[in-house]
Amino acid sequence: MSVPVMTVPGEPPAAAPAGVAVRAAGLRKTYGKGETAVQALAGVDVAFARGGFTAIMGPSGSGKSTLMHCLAGLDTATAGQVWLGDTELTGLRDDALTALRRQRIGFVFQAFNLLPVLPARENIVLPMQLAGSRPDSGWFDDVVARLGLRERLGHRPHELSGGQQQRVAIARALLPRPDVVFADEPTGNLDSRSGAEVLGLLRSSVRETGQTVVMVTHDPSAAAYADRVVLLADGRLAGELTDPTAETVLDALRGLGA
Amino acid sequence: MRSVLLAQLRAHAARLVASTLAIVIAVGFVVATLVLNATARSTVLAAVGAQYVGAAAVVTSTEGTSLVDDVDTLTGLDSVAAVAPSYETSVQAGVPGRGGAQYLFVESVADDAALRWQRMTEGTLPDGPGEVAVSERARAEVGDVLTVTSFDETGAEIASEATVTGIVDLSGDPQAGLYGRAFVTPDQARQWGAVDPVELRVAAAPGAGDEQVRSDAATALGARQVEVLTGAERADEAAANMLGNAMALTAVLLVFGTVAVVVAGLVIANTFAVLLAQRTRELALLRCVGATARQVRRGVLGEALVTGLVSSAIGAAAGIGLAALVSALVGGAEAPIPLAGLSVPWYAPLAGVLVGTLVTFLAALAPARAATRVAPLAALRPVDQAPLRSRPGVLRLVLGLLLLLPGIGLMAVGVTAGDVLIALPGGVLSFLGVVLLAQRGVPPVVAAAGRLAGRLGGVPARLASGNATRNPRRTAATATALLIGVTLTSAFVVGAASTRATAQAGLAAEFPTDVVVEGFAGELPASLVGTLTGTEGVERSASVLAGSVTGPDGEPTGAFGVDRAEAAAALRSTEDLVLPGAGEASVPEWLAEVWDVGDGDRVALGGGDPGAQVPVREFTVRVIDADNPLLLDADELRALSPDAALGQVWLRLADSDPERQLEVVDRITDVVAEASPETQVTGLVTMRAEIDEILDALLLVVTGLLGVAVVIALIGVGNTLALSVVERRQENGLLRALGLTRGQLRGLLAWEAVLVAGVAAVLGVLIGGAYGLIGAASVLGELGTIVLDVPWVQIAVIVAVATVAGLLASVLPARRAARTAPVAAIAA
Ligand SMILES: Nc1ncnc2c1ncn2[C@@H]1O[C@H](COP(=O)(O)OP(=O)(O)OP(=O)(O)O)[C@@H](O)[C@H]1O
Ligand SMILES: [Mg+2]
Repeated sequence: MSVPVMTVPGEPPAAAPAGVAVRAAGLRKTYGKGETAVQALAGVDVAFARGGFTAIMGPSGSGKSTLMHCLAGLDTATAGQVWLGDTELTGLRDDALTALRRQRIGFVFQAFNLLPVLPARENIVLPMQLAGSRPDSGWFDDVVARLGLRERLGHRPHELSGGQQQRVAIARALLPRPDVVFADEPTGNLDSRSGAEVLGLLRSSVRETGQTVVMVTHDPSAAAYADRVVLLADGRLAGELTDPTAETVLDALRGLGA
Repeated sequence: MRSVLLAQLRAHAARLVASTLAIVIAVGFVVATLVLNATARSTVLAAVGAQYVGAAAVVTSTEGTSLVDDVDTLTGLDSVAAVAPSYETSVQAGVPGRGGAQYLFVESVADDAALRWQRMTEGTLPDGPGEVAVSERARAEVGDVLTVTSFDETGAEIASEATVTGIVDLSGDPQAGLYGRAFVTPDQARQWGAVDPVELRVAAAPGAGDEQVRSDAATALGARQVEVLTGAERADEAAANMLGNAMALTAVLLVFGTVAVVVAGLVIANTFAVLLAQRTRELALLRCVGATARQVRRGVLGEALVTGLVSSAIGAAAGIGLAALVSALVGGAEAPIPLAGLSVPWYAPLAGVLVGTLVTFLAALAPARAATRVAPLAALRPVDQAPLRSRPGVLRLVLGLLLLLPGIGLMAVGVTAGDVLIALPGGVLSFLGVVLLAQRGVPPVVAAAGRLAGRLGGVPARLASGNATRNPRRTAATATALLIGVTLTSAFVVGAASTRATAQAGLAAEFPTDVVVEGFAGELPASLVGTLTGTEGVERSASVLAGSVTGPDGEPTGAFGVDRAEAAAALRSTEDLVLPGAGEASVPEWLAEVWDVGDGDRVALGGGDPGAQVPVREFTVRVIDADNPLLLDADELRALSPDAALGQVWLRLADSDPERQLEVVDRITDVVAEASPETQVTGLVTMRAEIDEILDALLLVVTGLLGVAVVIALIGVGNTLALSVVERRQENGLLRALGLTRGQLRGLLAWEAVLVAGVAAVLGVLIGGAYGLIGAASVLGELGTIVLDVPWVQIAVIVAVATVAGLLASVLPARRAARTAPVAAIAA
């Protein structure tokens, strides 16, 4: 089955077109040197619209996590460029990148999302505190209420269930109103009910507050929560779907041989 | 299992560095102590026993009977080649170009070459009367003519001269620095006052053995009250006498060695606990694939054994090297501990390796037991994120209190009774209790300090305080190691300060004058006071009149007259030497007894010269210590004894270091010798200063020794942090991903180190300070008035040094942590 592929023709413009939150051009990432070198990303051009919920999918080892790390400024690319809005990430020094992460990017990971020594409330406000800013208390209450965490704020991570821990991580990611929230298999460790809850929360933050979310996942039914699915294979873009359903995603993946 | 063990050791070698270092330092310290002790012993034996090396036998009198007649008896024996009687006496000798006379201890030189043991630096031994060889301490040169004052049996002075023929090398003899020694012929020694030989040294005839000579001599002198030993036996005895103090020093050093070993044990136990905690999954996997709990435990203990053995061996070698270094550095100088060369007794490295290996093994026991409790399933479970909760440890609490409370009780009794022998066991008991309870007490304090730090240091400090308390047991063990070192150091610092203050007060009371200038013949020229007052370094002076009065018993007695205000200003203390005002007489105890008067009684004193018609005067008696003279007001003495003249000048010197004060005393001696040859200058100030210096040196040594324990403990702090960094790789990655800069991450670890080290330092100083005061109070309580002194500056320095060193200990781990890539959080 053939899948329509969105290609970005020619040289990308230097500045981000309005409405694009994150963008990569010619992104390459090579691990190791010489004969053992692994090309995790082999030239990726991709853009994520502001206010969109995108899922990145692909077979294991296709470079999904690597792409996300490079987009989020967690890792440096071997070649190519990444823009967050108008800011070019590639070439930023570590401190600038760090400051940018805590103010303009939110993260939700599969596991080990929270600092075990801090109660939920502190975990949620941590990036803002690191940036030296105070969360707007109305917004804090709003986020906490939407994620159903009001009763749990004083608990430490080990006193929370896996789903609750992920919700705390989402609250933390949403609180600074970042340009984009990156989530790497956020439901990977959860049962289907908690997983659905988390995904519903991510989607509603996109719908209700215009948050941009980019999520890596293996699960076609998780991808169905997104507006758009970007497919990756062997470090290259291998197609994309808009308004996906679990079935269309599954078909697309089969087409990639996954 | 062996291949697994070796693979583990190789893989974790870097992480074992800290415990290895701790063992190396502790073992090195113990071995160096033992080697230095053996070296001192053989050095002393060589020096003190030198005179007996050539002697087959030595005869000493047991009942004080003269040995003179025995010389001929012994010389007549077949197995005896020669007999040298040893005469001893002492003289006052003046060296040309040096003012004043010095004390010289005189020994006779054997006539027979075999019994001459003296090594010469220069020149030769004397051959006849009028010749003398001296030790370096006499500071004379070959060819100098000494003016010698000796005393005959009746105590009459005899003046003579002697030419220096050689300088004797006494290096290694611990007493060489005390006073000058002179070596003369036996005849000369007798002329200078020696009466009987103190011992007879006997040389063997060719072919005769020492033991044969000894038994022949013993048989020949059978009826006499003498002791006959072989030369070797006598040498051992002499060295043993001399080394009594050195043994005490060794004991003290070994106590500090024990402290170092205990602290190292804590650090090692910690390292192993953390290493194993990190390997929980690895060990569980081993269990999954079929290793029994026993095999796992054996593997862990084997690892400890190999680590202990290897690092103890390195430590033993390092200890011997250290001892060699110390011996080389100290050997030449006039050191209080005699050291020459290096003697390594077989037991020193053996003891070091044994202690080091054993401690490592014991320290690994508890972690090894914990490791065997790892369930095979742990390999399959995701990493536990929950902070560790240690069990309350009721046993530890009860045991700690059982040690602490009676210990405190004993110390209280010791202080009240002023008996250190009661307080000391109390101190040891309670300290063991403190160490046990620290496990429980330290974490809450760290948490409290962390809350405070969190307010000051922002997010990194708050995270650090959380981290520092998440594994209470590990934090407590790390802090306890440092706590022990800091507690003992501050106990010594505070104890020494109080000892010094008390000693100073006591010495000032006992020797209130810095320098006393006194005329032998009685009278001093009046102009001397002005000259002395003008001498550099002299702060105040008081002239003291010497005259005489007639007591109520009708006997004339000498008396001194002082101006109370003037004299008080020149004295360090008037506690013992009570100065009389008008109408008062300070009467020494013995005289008060003779006169049969007590404090507050009235006594009538008449003129000193029975011929002169002087009206009797009434005085109120103030009884003072027996070693003082009778003191009156100067004007009143003049009224009773019109011919009273300047008899003494009391001088108070400006405060400065002993060398400077010694110079001032020398200057005064010169000034006085010029003005009036018949005077004596007594500089008590130098004695006080010397006691001070000894205390200072002692304190320095002790602080240095305890420093070893503190250094080991700080390695532990760095170690714990390094392991935490490894453990928290993911977490640190997460923090970096969420926006913690590298600098902030380094700050986080620095805060953690400062919290642990700072709390240990502050607690240690508080506890140690209390111990120091208790110790001083109980030791000095026997001696009388105690002056407690807390050296705030030193204490602040201890806290600062421990905290800053803790901070430094965090530098390497922090650098490693800062390299954590943000992706580490996800790439678990
Ligand atoms: N640190 C690394 N060193 C070497 N190679 C790496 C590293 N990280 C990833 N790779 C390689 O890069 C490629 C892409 O890895 P990546 O983690 O991005 O895959 P992924 O799509 O996220 O896979 P999965 O679905 O299993 O998480 C893989 O072949 C992987 O082996
Ligand atoms: Mg991945």
